[in-house]
Amino acid sequence: MKQFISFIIKESKHIVRDKRTMLILFGMPIVLMLIFGFAITTDVRNVRTVVVTSSLDHLTQRAVERLAASEYFTITASVATPQDAERLIRGQKADLAIVFSPDFASKRQGMQFIVDGADPNMAQQWTNYATAVIANADASLVNSKMLYNPQMRSAYNFVPAIMGMLLMLVCAMMTSISIVREKEKGTMEVLLVSPVKPLMIIVAKAIPYLVLAFAILTTILLMGRYVLGVPLQGSIVWIYVVSTIYILLALSLGLLISNIATSQLMALLLSAMVLLVPIVMLSGMLFPVESMPPVLQWISAIVPPRYYIQAMRKLMIMGVGIGEVLREVVILTAMTVLLLAVSLLKFKTRLE
Amino acid sequence: MTLKYLIQKEFLQIRRNAFLPRLIVIFPIMMMCVMPWVMNMEVKNIVVEVVDNDHSTLSQRLVQSIEASNYFIFNGLQPTYQAALKDIETSKADMVLVIPQDYSRDLTNGAHPQVLIAANAVNGTKGAMGNAYLSQIVTATVNPDVADIQSRVSTLFLYNKRLNYKVFMIPALLAIVMMLMCGFLPTLNIVGEKEAGTIEQINVTPVPKWAFILAKLIPYWLIALFVIVVCLILSWLIYGITCQGPLWLVFVLAMPLALFWSSFGLIISNYSDTMQQAIFVMWFFVVMMLLLSGLFTPTRSMPDWAYATTYINPMHYFIDGIRTVFVRGGGMQSILHQVLALCGISGVMACWAVMSYRKNS
Amino acid sequence: MNAIEVNHVSKSYGKVKALDDVSFTVGKGEVFGLIGPDGAGKTSMYRILCTLLKPGQGNATVDGFDVVRQMTDIRRRVGYMPGKFSLYQDLTVQENLEFFATLFGTTVEAGYDTIKAIYSQIERFRDRKTGALSGGMKQKLALCCALVHQPSVLFLDEPTTGVDPVSRKEFWDMLITLKESGITIMASTPYLDEVRRCERVAFLDQGKIRGIGTPDEILTRFADIFNPPGIDHDQGSEVKDENVIEVEHLVKAFGSFHAVDDISFAVKRGEIFGFLGANGAGKTTAMHMLTGLNQPTSGTGRVAGYDIRTEHEQIKKHIGYMSQRFSLYEDLTVAENIRLFGGIYGMNDADIARKTDEVLERLRFADHKNDLVGSLPLGWKQKLAFSVSIFHEPSIVFLDEPTGGVDPATRRQFWELIYDAAGRGITVFVTTHYMDEAEYCDRISIMVDGKISAIGTPSQLKERFHQPDMEHVFIYLARQATRSSD
Repeated sequence: MKQFISFIIKESKHIVRDKRTMLILFGMPIVLMLIFGFAITTDVRNVRTVVVTSSLDHLTQRAVERLAASEYFTITASVATPQDAERLIRGQKADLAIVFSPDFASKRQGMQFIVDGADPNMAQQWTNYATAVIANADASLVNSKMLYNPQMRSAYNFVPAIMGMLLMLVCAMMTSISIVREKEKGTMEVLLVSPVKPLMIIVAKAIPYLVLAFAILTTILLMGRYVLGVPLQGSIVWIYVVSTIYILLALSLGLLISNIATSQLMALLLSAMVLLVPIVMLSGMLFPVESMPPVLQWISAIVPPRYYIQAMRKLMIMGVGIGEVLREVVILTAMTVLLLAVSLLKFKTRLE
Repeated sequence: MTLKYLIQKEFLQIRRNAFLPRLIVIFPIMMMCVMPWVMNMEVKNIVVEVVDNDHSTLSQRLVQSIEASNYFIFNGLQPTYQAALKDIETSKADMVLVIPQDYSRDLTNGAHPQVLIAANAVNGTKGAMGNAYLSQIVTATVNPDVADIQSRVSTLFLYNKRLNYKVFMIPALLAIVMMLMCGFLPTLNIVGEKEAGTIEQINVTPVPKWAFILAKLIPYWLIALFVIVVCLILSWLIYGITCQGPLWLVFVLAMPLALFWSSFGLIISNYSDTMQQAIFVMWFFVVMMLLLSGLFTPTRSMPDWAYATTYINPMHYFIDGIRTVFVRGGGMQSILHQVLALCGISGVMACWAVMSYRKNS
Repeated sequence: MNAIEVNHVSKSYGKVKALDDVSFTVGKGEVFGLIGPDGAGKTSMYRILCTLLKPGQGNATVDGFDVVRQMTDIRRRVGYMPGKFSLYQDLTVQENLEFFATLFGTTVEAGYDTIKAIYSQIERFRDRKTGALSGGMKQKLALCCALVHQPSVLFLDEPTTGVDPVSRKEFWDMLITLKESGITIMASTPYLDEVRRCERVAFLDQGKIRGIGTPDEILTRFADIFNPPGIDHDQGSEVKDENVIEVEHLVKAFGSFHAVDDISFAVKRGEIFGFLGANGAGKTTAMHMLTGLNQPTSGTGRVAGYDIRTEHEQIKKHIGYMSQRFSLYEDLTVAENIRLFGGIYGMNDADIARKTDEVLERLRFADHKNDLVGSLPLGWKQKLAFSVSIFHEPSIVFLDEPTGGVDPATRRQFWELIYDAAGRGITVFVTTHYMDEAEYCDRISIMVDGKISAIGTPSQLKERFHQPDMEHVFIYLARQATRSSD
């Protein structure tokens, strides 16, 4: 037991002494939360609009006034021909041009939006908003209710994703590197030959990272709640329980990588290529899984963070009970058991 | 003259590495084959359920028009709002449309009854866009006047007529591939020499600082060049997407960016003691610059303080510029500003890379 | 019962046969030496006995337990110090020692008496990070970590590489004390004086046991390998009366600690100058200042006529340097390394190609021109590194412990190369822990506690301190150290 504790202390010292890495580990979630919470939005805002009209009849004028008054659009210019408008858009001076036909008021002809379609989502949103503003659609016809996220803040979507990414990074990447480093430096030989059981070495190595992971998790939750105002709808206990399963899963992945990798460089690249890229790309963190082609959806089915992020979105933001995320929890648990078993079986107690 | 030998050495080392040559070839190919499919933020397959408390012809027409829309997946009627909400909670549905009792009658009587649209807005974009389209359908079905206006509006999407997300993302992918290749590999380079001890041998030779650093930058420049050519060819072969503007401008933009990333990598490498440290610091900056570059979200929607950071973010200039050239077909005139900014920033970084390498402490 | 029994053990890595039908026994409480050149298979043998590797064929027992089947029993009762025993660089000296003590189920207090002789030398640095210690100091700490517990069998794979003669002597005294308490010790070493302290030695070469017997038997039988004839060197024939290195009152301080404390000396053109000192006496720091890697805190110095403070890039054009750590590119071939460094010093392709053939011819390396440097044995690497460092015909070459861990025969070849270079007028500035090598130098200085405590020709020094050989001179002076080092 004394050996075990001194092992943990030693491992913690390695972590704490590397100031720069510590700074990044705790700076990362904070900065990410701030960026996702405040800097990045897909809100329609400051859309640079050009009006193309030859005669300003009263209806056209009213439409333009309405556009200008709305918080979404800024009228930057008024030109005579659609060609001029197009030139402005191509030169990145405008995003949207609205062409009114000369006799717009007479109801015989309509208008045309010329939109910079480079970003399809934004292009569609701009036209939707512009149509709504110009039509002055009777808002009273529809009562819209945005469930769970009334202000449609992207932070709600991303807080669980940040958790999924950082916990994986800390547990899998750092554990694997710390084990491989001992192999590379030759200390592993001494540890293996010592009377300490190999399993104990592994467990002792994992514990500081486990603690670190919980610290980061707590930081994110606190930041989310008090700085970003993301509500914690679900039960805190279950959030921690599911996170624990996920952390264990990440730790066993790290152990597995350390069994395969022979050098720190390889462990780094393996974790970056095998873990980080799929997590960011295929877990539904940034890009919705349902928009992917079926083949990629199947692949994403074996990416563990996908289930964790899904479960956290439901638990934290939607506030559903544990019953609704049972499927995700079962899958995560099964993956954990499998990975842990494989990595412990594959753990080498000799050098070969 | 010494430069020649140093560059030769860097290439030999890259070639001898068991992993790097494969990485340099396979990585961009993988990225180009898979990522355009993944990096798709298109909102589709929104599942809608309807709670019809009215049971009138109007409400049935409403249901029919939802069913007919190819934007939504209609998941049937639910007896109560609670039942529908349950489906949202279990992720079986994304939106619910509730038509109140006597909706049709109130409407003819001149009252202002409202339908309720409840959308799962955890993903804000999805919620907002679904809501907008569903509102449009409701309005068009119920209010013929508005339908009239809508019918008179036509929309012309420039540059990307079919609103293909890949057109938007492929130029951005160039930026990501270059960032990963030219950013991470040099980051590991000098720390690697520090850990191997070879840097000490170099430090006692009369090799000029700039030559040593330049010899490390040039190979990554060439790698970037190679990677871009591969990506452009694949984009044409697989997706049929080609550069709309003059092709040479792509390289005019890419070269300073490659210089920026490799210099940045070397700077971090110079200041780091271990590979792990170097990678973590690099990763931090990569994520930061990527998110604030406008690659995923429009920079103009950012609050002012965040927008201010884009002035020093080379990724922002590159992405702005490459989209103008690649998608909008802009010429040198329209990206002059971006090219100048990129050259300026990368020039400063290259100088810093030379200065931060110390042969004598 | 024997403590170690090895029966017909073989081990191959792919096509390379590391061990080929090796058999020997070691009695309880015996000090057994396993000696042989680099790459002979010693490390594989240790790893098999420590259960880190499985033998390919044959079997072995340690303390009566089989190395394959009874892994846990063996691990509970052996101690092992690998050749590259690595400490945790970010932990302090004290923390490292405590960690390893706890790991082996004991405490520093309990083992203190055993390690006192060596640990007392580094104890004053107990709160310093291990990464900040000099190479020899780290090795001493590693010795302490390995000896802090008292296993029944102790395996030591070249434990004293890079350690100064005084500490090596103390270390072996400690081993003899351990033996008296019944511990079986199996050790390997490139130092002949250490080989002589074993009771029996086995000579391992290319995976085969060539002979087992008392040290004297083995050393006589294989005299051509272990005890090559000395080298004739007509002293001073090339030395000109012109100083190429002049140092006055040179100081390098790290905080309040003066690593180099006011040293002054001069080296003449064409001289072979031995720069000796205990681990951490400040040799490497002084050398770093002379080669322009570090700025001096105060004092002046000129190397090849240039000021070390302001003209270090000029100095670098006129010197060669070979560091403690092997520092050629292991992933380049022999020819590519030579070409790179030739190119760095501004030679052109034709000159490089011509000289490369010349150098390889002299080293008898021509067949290995296109081999990766990483695949060469240590002794070859060192000879190559030396040849590369004088490839551009510098006026001075600095060698920092160039022969650490190399067997006697190879060391002798190395010194032939040094004489060859000196014969061509290159001044050689060399540090070493081998006192027989010190005798080869024209003039030597001995550094103690950051100061030069003696300087002169080997015979002058022996006379002055009334000692029979350099080893005794060194021990006599180093024992006067007050600060133990760094």
